[in-house]
Amino acid sequence: MYGGGGGGGHYDGGSGGAGNANALFGGGGFMPSQSTVVPENSGLSKGRSAQTLLPLTVKQTMDAAQTSGDRSNFAINGVEVSTIRLVGRMLGKVERVTDVVFTLDDGTGKIDVNRWENEASDAKEMADANNENYVIVIGGLKGFQGKRHVVAYAVRRVTNFNEITCHFLHCIQVHMELTGLKIYSSAATYGGVAHAPSQPNPVDGNYISNLVLSVFHDPSVMDQEHGLHIKDVIDRLKLPDDVVSAAIQGHVDVGNIYNTIDDFHYKSVRNG
Amino acid sequence: MDTSSPAALVNAQMLNMFVGRRVRTVVQVQHNEGGVLVGQSTDGHQLCVKSAMDVPVSHFMEVYGIAENSQTIRAEVCTDFGPNFDPKVFDELCKLASGRFKHLFL
Repeated sequence: MYGGGGGGGHYDGGSGGAGNANALFGGGGFMPSQSTVVPENSGLSKGRSAQTLLPLTVKQTMDAAQTSGDRSNFAINGVEVSTIRLVGRMLGKVERVTDVVFTLDDGTGKIDVNRWENEASDAKEMADANNENYVIVIGGLKGFQGKRHVVAYAVRRVTNFNEITCHFLHCIQVHMELTGLKIYSSAATYGGVAHAPSQPNPVDGNYISNLVLSVFHDPSVMDQEHGLHIKDVIDRLKLPDDVVSAAIQGHVDVGNIYNTIDDFHYKSVRNG
Repeated sequence: MDTSSPAALVNAQMLNMFVGRRVRTVVQVQHNEGGVLVGQSTDGHQLCVKSAMDVPVSHFMEVYGIAENSQTIRAEVCTDFGPNFDPKVFDELCKLASGRFKHLFL
């Protein structure tokens, strides 16, 4: 039995999740603007942010790290994952009395999906999707005896196949957003080495700005009560003082970081 | 859960990097004779698809299969994507998925 998602999971069965998923359905997902950075060795806050919908490939769900302590939680790029969106072909669909199980193959891998049929509308939705159909699955990523599977809150057959392209591009975009990557140049870097980030332009203000912010988001820094001295940031990045100061001031202005004990210590507002 | 046989998203230009391996791509069907389908790839080249299913001419068709050489795919699964599909966007996705963001897919 994994309907409850282990000890105090985010979703208590299907009904709460189903309503949630329906609300997310129309727009097909959103950007997790306020990501939950998983702090080391601490209890994860199980607030609403943990329910952020993440578009993922099956490969990414397999690569997700299981966060220590609570075995039903996963993290990707340091962000807690619970509700995910996958798009792939439905295979091996088996209808049982209370649920439907099938395998989802999105070309990057296969994962088992389980959909509880609590209401007539659930059964109707599942009857619409059959083997070999492309489906959009929104559900919770669960771990059970070392195996990962998805408990689906909604399964919809794909009728416009551009949604498949769109989903994968969305996966890339969210991945970039969460890892602070930027596209520096287009065609020149394609088809080359696996995932080495292309050479950034050293005078690109945005790049430096993200770099500075990433220092403050380092879990070891987040744990420090007084934050980080501006000199430590400069030492870490090996960048000119004025460039780093300007980037820090920019982040203070927009509210990403704030002054702590004096004029030189700053801390990220995340998990504040 | 199984990621042992992923299919790389490719266009015609990238096909030669994946000869002998599983690939997936989309072609616009031009003609289908004697079990060999000829279609236009999303980057404008001609591709042959062996043992493809019958998809109407001018429809877009997705192919999962093994790349036999730089112009031929032996199909395992075909899906009719219909006449309304954006090949340009798919082509850009192929470049990203086999390049800089390969680790999300393969």
